[in-house]
Amino acid sequence: MSLDNTIKEIQTSFRSDLSNCKTTTDLENIRITYLGRKGKITILFDDFAKLPGSEKPKYGKALNVLKTDLTIAFNQKMNELNPNSSGSNNNSADFSLPGYDLPKGSLHPLEQITSEIKSIFQSVGFSVAYGPEIDDDYHNFEALNVPKHHPARDMQDTFFIDPNTVLRTHTSNVQIHLMENQDPPIRHICCGRVFRNEAVSYKSFCLFNQVEGLVVNESSSFAEMKGTLEYFVEEMFGKGTKMRFRPSYFPFTEPSAEVDIWNDKLNQWMEILGCGMVNPNVLANVGYDNKKYQGFAFGMGIERIAMIKYGIKDIRLFYQNDKRFLEQF
Amino acid sequence: MKVSLSWLKRFVDFEYSSSELADKLTMQGFESEVVTDFSSLQHIVVGEVKSAEKHPDADKLKVCTVTDGNDSYNVVCGAPNVDKGQKIVFAKVGAVLPGDFKIGKAKIRGVESFGMICSERELGISEEHDGIMVLDHSCEVGVNIDSILGEAYDAIDVEITPDKAFALSHRGIAREVAAMSGAKLKTPIEVSKITSKGKDLIKVSLDKDGGCTRYIAGTMKNLTVGPSPKWLTDYLKSVGQKSINNLVDISNFMLLEIGHPTHIFDLNKLSKPTIEVKWAKKGEKFDALDEESYKLDTDHLIITDSVNTIALAGIIGGKDSAVSETTTEVLIESAYFNPVVIRKGSKKLNLLSEASRRFERGADPEATLEAFYMIVGLMTEVAGGTLESLITDESTIDTTLHKVSLSEDKLLKYTGQEIDSKSVGSILDGLYIGYDKSKTGWDCTIPSFRHDVVHETDLIEEVLRCYGYENIKSSYSFSSQMQYANDEEQPLFELKQYLSSLGFNQCYNNSLQDIEEVKAFGITPVSVMNPSSERMNTLRTTLHRGLLENLDFNFKNGSANTLIYEHGTVFEKKGDTLKDIDQVSNFSCLIHGNFYDKSVHFDGVENNFFLLKGIATNAFQTLTKAKVKFVEDKSSYCDIFYRIVDNKKNTVGSIGVIAGSFLDKLDIAHKTDVCVMDINTTFFTEHFNHSVKVKDIILYPVVTRDLNFKLDSGANLGEVCSAMKSVNQSILQDVWPVDIYQSKEEKSKKNVLFKLSFQNIKKTLEDNEVNAIITEIISIVTKKFNAKLRDN
Repeated sequence: MSLDNTIKEIQTSFRSDLSNCKTTTDLENIRITYLGRKGKITILFDDFAKLPGSEKPKYGKALNVLKTDLTIAFNQKMNELNPNSSGSNNNSADFSLPGYDLPKGSLHPLEQITSEIKSIFQSVGFSVAYGPEIDDDYHNFEALNVPKHHPARDMQDTFFIDPNTVLRTHTSNVQIHLMENQDPPIRHICCGRVFRNEAVSYKSFCLFNQVEGLVVNESSSFAEMKGTLEYFVEEMFGKGTKMRFRPSYFPFTEPSAEVDIWNDKLNQWMEILGCGMVNPNVLANVGYDNKKYQGFAFGMGIERIAMIKYGIKDIRLFYQNDKRFLEQF
Repeated sequence: MKVSLSWLKRFVDFEYSSSELADKLTMQGFESEVVTDFSSLQHIVVGEVKSAEKHPDADKLKVCTVTDGNDSYNVVCGAPNVDKGQKIVFAKVGAVLPGDFKIGKAKIRGVESFGMICSERELGISEEHDGIMVLDHSCEVGVNIDSILGEAYDAIDVEITPDKAFALSHRGIAREVAAMSGAKLKTPIEVSKITSKGKDLIKVSLDKDGGCTRYIAGTMKNLTVGPSPKWLTDYLKSVGQKSINNLVDISNFMLLEIGHPTHIFDLNKLSKPTIEVKWAKKGEKFDALDEESYKLDTDHLIITDSVNTIALAGIIGGKDSAVSETTTEVLIESAYFNPVVIRKGSKKLNLLSEASRRFERGADPEATLEAFYMIVGLMTEVAGGTLESLITDESTIDTTLHKVSLSEDKLLKYTGQEIDSKSVGSILDGLYIGYDKSKTGWDCTIPSFRHDVVHETDLIEEVLRCYGYENIKSSYSFSSQMQYANDEEQPLFELKQYLSSLGFNQCYNNSLQDIEEVKAFGITPVSVMNPSSERMNTLRTTLHRGLLENLDFNFKNGSANTLIYEHGTVFEKKGDTLKDIDQVSNFSCLIHGNFYDKSVHFDGVENNFFLLKGIATNAFQTLTKAKVKFVEDKSSYCDIFYRIVDNKKNTVGSIGVIAGSFLDKLDIAHKTDVCVMDINTTFFTEHFNHSVKVKDIILYPVVTRDLNFKLDSGANLGEVCSAMKSVNQSILQDVWPVDIYQSKEEKSKKNVLFKLSFQNIKKTLEDNEVNAIITEIISIVTKKFNAKLRDN
């Protein structure tokens, strides 16, 4: 028998079997007879393999068409006999139903702000450095020009692990590690958790996140610090944000400044970051030639910026991880 | 520090209002806020009490008739001192007192009241609230209160940073005001040398270690203790201080006037008119003026009369040598103490006083004698005393003024902008810094009260803050220093974004936890010496603790479905030094409940072990290009625990199902399995790779086959799949178990349908190639797993 005839025969008998089929059991038998592993189609393909190469293209196509036709017809019959077999058929007509209730994932607001700050500074060539949260007194205080028994230590209430080991009170310890391991130029920001031994309330927590920056080279000036931070403030809070630099005091910078931005809603200035020219004593402490090198440093609290930006009134919300809070970001 | 405008005007003339002054000082480095600004108060006038009768229904209240010159008002008042005929501060209906206290009509015990008679506290003048404020009789009824009180009581609160000891007085702030306005500083008290009437001499000996480098002492007799004159009480009141008596008031006044702390002893309470400054004995007890008893240590500097300790030097006086109502003779101390000594002493006792605050930041050694003479002068004037002893001035201090140079080049390089030399000169003048202008800069002589100015940058800071930071033009030339900006944590940020887009919420938990809870996780923790509360005395050893707490919190607040993760540092103690503390960056996920709840669309999908397994497989494969496997292992608090390993057998993470008993022990609310996954951040960061090398897409068709096996119900399908895959690595691309069916009749067996996909990367697959593999698979699975192929 020629292959053409066999194909036609199979088509005819399959159609008649299918039209007589009334139950799913019948249907399963039809599947085994025609489409099963030892079914008629499989046998046909075995025969096809024995054909001479010249005839293969012609019959290859015909056989594939046959198999596809049969499969489609079979599936249609299956749907007729068993309308629920393919899942959501019963819903597909009502497009007013709600969509899948997908979980509402989010990045933590502090992560979002940190990431935004990082990318603003990365866009002007600052790399990101990290360092230890537990450090010795030297890296957290002394190297930063805060000797023991200096009243400036009162500015930061410190958690101690032992008399000479502290939970860092700022990420400035990273600046010291960085400069100890690298010669100028330095153009880095450091970020991470810092700890303060303060009573927990809506406006203060025992820890917060900080981003600090450090630039050391032969020329960076106070004017350049102003320019850099103005660029940052405009990127972060929007073009035309009203801001001011006012003199302040930090042991590790001199001259020091605090930056305020104007809050229209509250009709007042809000402090957002501290900065200053790196104190020459700090440069000397890490072995830099402070006659040749100079630069500036700045630092800000992420929680504070997030609170301003998102209108959050209680700092503790950041660490409570209430889903109703997190899902809003 | 509270600064009174009227007090400032003793030293310098100015026209600024409270808020203008606060703004100007803020921009010069002294962050200031308005405390009282009477010019902003409306509807508050001088009133006169026409009558004051007992309230018909309350013993402690009075019903007064108050006039503002035009009308009379009924006012109920609770102050015991209110009386007919007084001139008082009358806040009418509609007035708003400091602290946003609005005055409205009120009915008090059945009597209507229209306004309020104010106390000093209600006006923000002082803490005085025992009675109403009674004004001088000369005040004109009806005039706005600003004209009466504004001048005397307008005040600002100035925050003085630790470097600016020179500003801890009205004279100090006045110098700043003079520097900004160019006005001249006045000298309200002329210091004149007063010669003694007597010939007594106080013997003073100083310690040998430089704790006290100058001590001036003298005695006064024939003093009369009594109330202070009005001008003195008014000044003290203007900064919220209560008057005690004339002697104590004078010492307090001097402190706020010129910032130099002095102390006054009752001479008759001393054993001998002798002063010895020395170190305390260990454990020595000292009864101080504040009625407290302190235990001293050997680094506490004390003042003795050679027999008894009469003061804790520079911090607080003794109780037994204090002046009292009966004092007639005093010993006046004006000294200079070493800042570090005072700082240590005060810190050790946790005792901070107005005196210690000034000494620890550095007092003015030159002001010592000036303060002494001022005290003598005031005591003579106010308490009628006479100086009876010669003045002892024991000093080892070097009073040479130090010199600091400022070069023009450095100023320019540091500032980034030229500041003309004339401006620099007048700024230095305003700050009382003497200078010689050289060709290259300024050779400055620093006044004794500015010991904070030591380096050239200190001078630059002085120049810039007075020149005004707002006058320095910003420079944007930093683009020349651009460099490649690296962030080693970027890979973890991508992981966070991946998880959050799948539906995870990122958490930030407190690093400080309760030691008892931390210990449950079986790692030796690091504790804090001085915790703020016992619930936060130890550093976390795992992120799991915080995530479990988040599960518990959210579950109790109505969200059972939990998909959370955190990235943060955890700590482990491995020894007693800093380098023995492991500080490791961890990344943990926790899931619970359902991924999808049951809905019209489907029956619900659980957040379970397999979700984490799928996420781990995908996250590692897409973000690090590592193909991971899961190896069964043990964990102390997980029932089921698998290590995630890469093809080099590195452990790169883990997945576990936390034991129910452990959750109960920690009291964590839950209703389904709680699964955790940890990802090794170091591996992830190091292997993160976005530089994908694209593989050619294979154009030859994929052939799929189904195999249905009957297996023992305990058979491990992961192993079955691996056994199948091992038959042919190149053509058999994948094996997936797609269906498991167990009949009720035959529970020892399960039927599993596997889907196999085949592809030859070089050519179209021949059926016989596939068949050969299938035959081998069937034979292996049948033998190895006691399986039976079920016919299709």
